[in-house]
Amino acid sequence: MAKKQHVIVVGGGLAGLSATMKLAEAGVHVYLISMVPVKRSHSVCAQGGINSVNDLTRQEGDSEWLHLDDSVYGGDFLQHQPLVKEMCDWGPRIVNLLDRLGVPFNRTPEGLLDQRRFGGTLFKRTAFAGATTGQQLIYALDEQVRRWEADGLVEKFEYWEFLGPILDGNGHCRGAVVQDMFAMTIRSLAADAVVLATGGCGLIYGRSTMSMICTGGAAGRAFKAGVNYANGEFIQVHPTAIPGTDKLRLMSESARGEGGRVWVPRKPQDPRDPLSIPAAERYYFLEERYPKYGNLVPRDIATREIFDVCVTQGLSVEAGQMCVYLDVTELPPTVQKKLDGILEIYEKFRGVNPREVPMKIFPAVHYSMGGLWVDYERDDNTGGLVLGSPRNQQSNVPGIFVIGEADYQYHGANRLGANSLLSCIFAGLIVAPSIENWLKSQAKGSAADQPASLFDDAVMLHQQRMEQLIHNQGEENPYKLHQELGDWMTRCVTVVRNNKDLQACLDKIDEFADRYQNVSLSDKSHWTNQNLSFTRALEDMILLARVITKGALLRDECRGAHYKPAFEIPPTSADDPVKLREQAEKWCRAFKEQSDRWLKTTIAKHTPDVPEITYEDVDTSLIPPRPRTYGLKGAEIIEKTWKEMTKATPVRKPQAAAVSG
Amino acid sequence: MAEHEHQAAESPADKYYFLIRRLHSLTGLVPVGVFLVVHLSINAMVLAPGPVGSEFQRSVERIHSLGPLLAPVEIVGIFLPLLFHALLGFVIIFTCQSNAQQYRYGSNIRYMLQRATGIIAFVFIFYHVWQMHWFGEWAGGGRFRLYDESGGALAATTTAATIQAAWWIAPIYAIGVLSAVYHLANGIWTSLITWGITIRPRSQQAAGYVCAALGIVLSLAGLGALNGFRALNVTEGTAQKTGHSVTAATRDR
Amino acid sequence: MEEDPNGKHPMSATTHIHQTHTLSHEGNGRKISVKVLRQSDPRGGSHWETFEVPYEPGMNVTTVLQRIAANPTNAEHEHSTPVAYDSCCLEEVCGACTMVINGRVRQACSALVDSLLADSPEGIELRPMTKFKVVRDLFVDRSPMFAALKRIKAWVAVDGYHDIGPGPRISPREQDEAYPLSRCMTCGCCVEACPQFNDHSTFIGPAAISQAILFNAHPTARVERDDRLAVLTGVGGIVDCGNSQNCVKVCPKDIPLTTSIAKAGRDTTLYKIRQWFGR
Repeated sequence: MAKKQHVIVVGGGLAGLSATMKLAEAGVHVYLISMVPVKRSHSVCAQGGINSVNDLTRQEGDSEWLHLDDSVYGGDFLQHQPLVKEMCDWGPRIVNLLDRLGVPFNRTPEGLLDQRRFGGTLFKRTAFAGATTGQQLIYALDEQVRRWEADGLVEKFEYWEFLGPILDGNGHCRGAVVQDMFAMTIRSLAADAVVLATGGCGLIYGRSTMSMICTGGAAGRAFKAGVNYANGEFIQVHPTAIPGTDKLRLMSESARGEGGRVWVPRKPQDPRDPLSIPAAERYYFLEERYPKYGNLVPRDIATREIFDVCVTQGLSVEAGQMCVYLDVTELPPTVQKKLDGILEIYEKFRGVNPREVPMKIFPAVHYSMGGLWVDYERDDNTGGLVLGSPRNQQSNVPGIFVIGEADYQYHGANRLGANSLLSCIFAGLIVAPSIENWLKSQAKGSAADQPASLFDDAVMLHQQRMEQLIHNQGEENPYKLHQELGDWMTRCVTVVRNNKDLQACLDKIDEFADRYQNVSLSDKSHWTNQNLSFTRALEDMILLARVITKGALLRDECRGAHYKPAFEIPPTSADDPVKLREQAEKWCRAFKEQSDRWLKTTIAKHTPDVPEITYEDVDTSLIPPRPRTYGLKGAEIIEKTWKEMTKATPVRKPQAAAVSG
Repeated sequence: MAEHEHQAAESPADKYYFLIRRLHSLTGLVPVGVFLVVHLSINAMVLAPGPVGSEFQRSVERIHSLGPLLAPVEIVGIFLPLLFHALLGFVIIFTCQSNAQQYRYGSNIRYMLQRATGIIAFVFIFYHVWQMHWFGEWAGGGRFRLYDESGGALAATTTAATIQAAWWIAPIYAIGVLSAVYHLANGIWTSLITWGITIRPRSQQAAGYVCAALGIVLSLAGLGALNGFRALNVTEGTAQKTGHSVTAATRDR
Repeated sequence: MEEDPNGKHPMSATTHIHQTHTLSHEGNGRKISVKVLRQSDPRGGSHWETFEVPYEPGMNVTTVLQRIAANPTNAEHEHSTPVAYDSCCLEEVCGACTMVINGRVRQACSALVDSLLADSPEGIELRPMTKFKVVRDLFVDRSPMFAALKRIKAWVAVDGYHDIGPGPRISPREQDEAYPLSRCMTCGCCVEACPQFNDHSTFIGPAAISQAILFNAHPTARVERDDRLAVLTGVGGIVDCGNSQNCVKVCPKDIPLTTSIAKAGRDTTLYKIRQWFGR
């Protein structure tokens, strides 16, 4: 190669940093773009831990295969299984790497990694560093990237914003337009690959557990440039969050993983001090309904149960504000200490000591399983991936790669706790060799060979847009518009969905898009104009809100986080065993039909007016879909019937997988 | 970028920065700190039972037994280290930006006082040396005499006379002595951290109590001696011209 | 001039989930006075501007700043601009929203209005950190802190990122020592409160010293121990600490910074002695 090739990584969370360090290790020069110093990225908010099979769980019968099974069962089979399989196989290696990088994981007396249990599994698979695991992981990666920065292979652009990709005449990505958030100067960066690691889009919902930078702005800009958006309607609502006026703060699943229990008083709005309520008068609804998994059912289920207890059964702890108790008061101090990081947050933001008084919590928007569409190449021998294939993590726009929460892979219809840290780092690590190979294939006609006008024109365009936005005359206040958008999205597109509300929301989004044209900035300056940056992101939020809502409207079924009661298969009700069996068979047939119709990836393509939605088959070649009951009391018959009905088709477990398991 | 910083030519002050600063800490303890303890202990001899000032006289005589060596010992062993400690101290104070008003933590107030007392003690020591030490004689000071022409003991009475020369001298001495004592006691506490001897908050707190006790003892010794000199009857004391004069000096009141 | 007559939520139809999180707006029309030290760019001068913000139960300073952004009209009823400030996670784990609130450096997200008003009922005063260059309003440039991390080689110099098995065994006791230090979010509270960290001092600050100690304790990172100690024994190193111990008191993560500093004092002394004796 005559000319030096560059890669742009946008976003410095776990995914972006792992990709950056891995690329730098391979000698690739990286421009790392981030709206905040990368050390402050949203990954710091991850609390609980990172999943991988480990020596201990292995002896209890665990294997990578079971991790795969838990993940796809938890995700309601909506994810392409080769990717998930590869990720679960890498789990132990990734945790080992992080261990070597100095992450202060909690230890056993022998000096090995300590593990805790998380939702959606029966094994203690989760390695953790206190209750601030995400923070500890990102710091370890941040340190490695700093090392490469000192070596000159990484050039950081912190407090720079990604405005959009630059595509050449063939639709290949040749760089990006970025803006200095202080001086507001806009410039282009030439590169032969752009990696988007820009996280989730929780701000579409107004307040969520996400950070202020999680607007989905970068994803929206890529979508507009032609990158497809997949499974947008799958938004995880975390069961346990602390209500707040500016954001909803996460109360990690690890609180339950360490033995915290969710309950409400059996008597509605019992005014007694919670600690004085005897056990018999407490309703531990998750434990009662799901004796096998108890408080550690997957998030979508826990969220719906909490919602049901509060809304349908009227058992909210308080009348004016809906919430349930999350109780860690009975845990021994040594266990409470492991949770210090999150208990401190509760104490700081609510002024109540959760070690002594049960916490009051309620679900909140937390994670976008959906995201920009990316490809992968399946290895038919292993059932996993062809590592190094340029198709891995590459979007439908050549040269644009997407990793981390910003992509749509790995989690299907619902993400398991402590799988996101794994998926982010995994995607970051495997995208690097894929990009190396991609760069080799791009040696001719690379970014450096493009005419200067390609870049200058792109910069000019964004400059004009900025000026137009700054000088726009209108009545609309972007912050208030955002709040309205958030209110509507939270009301219509979260835990319980119905088509009437979804249609109303879609209409409302059209109205917001119109009103956005009249948006007026209160700050018209050209220095650190946060007003401008926010307003620009609002347009992307409206864009993605439409993708999310339309996807939800069209998907007439219940799957993972997407719950439409009107399309729920009615549960069995008969007492008579014969009738019950009949009902169960009927249920299973309906389930089969539903899978045939809806076990598909939603793909949204940008058009000038509404997003065009199509569907794509999901690769379920490793583990056939099955009803997702999590041992719900009364649902045993369904599991049994399904097993009998599908006996004829054995699980196709590839040879290599069997060896590794 | 980082490389440039490292390759920048170092000045000797930069090169020996750590050594110089450690020496600053050390000189504050030994010899300056030790000297202060000895000095205050000797002063306190004025309170010893027996003939007034006799014990004090004997202690001072012991020091002066060095004869011609005394001056070099004083210069090399005390004045130069003191000057080094003080002048570097001023440089250090220049790098500080006290915020004790804003952050009123005990340790922050002590930090601010350490610097303030350093300045006060330095000015005071200048004054004191000018006034009492023979170094100060050329500038019209140096009121201290060990003997009179006929060999009569004068250590206590000349000291007392100097203290009593004006009403404001004793208060100045009180402030000066307290500053020096505070500066030493707190200096010992910080040096234990600086040298990495007290590491954890608990050991630092324990050391704090010990240093506070030391400070109180030294303060009592210093102020007690000052009071002793202030109360000493100078006229009677100087009136005695016999070889063993001090026996006649009596305490006033 | 115009106040939002409906409170902050123009939409009446809110859901259960939403009601829950909205924490009812019965502020009773009460307003809090918020004084902000503003500066339009790094070169310009600064001036105070006061805003009257409707009180909401449970609100924190970031909420206050969000409300000002949505309605940037000052107490004189003049049209103003949103206040620029750095923020990200809003749960005191990223370190971004550090500023001086009622005279004390801290994160805006964890500064609850109720407790601020309990201490000073007259209102809230916000100013940028004083030890860094102001970018705009409450937004400062903390890049020197990140540069310091580079200087002290705050990383574990592993051979590579390929799979070579687990890291070194580490006892729970060592982990217990390392974890608190590893929670440093480079927020700048410690240097802001440090009287030794200022324009006429080259002091590297408590955060970087503590990171050096953290990495020097790690079995693998220890290989670069002497490089770190060389920085700490250089100009602006450990000897510039004046033991005011403000750092440990303002640290939002309760990091034992003074313990790290004392350890650095010990380790640098031993390092220099080893150096003089040719190791």
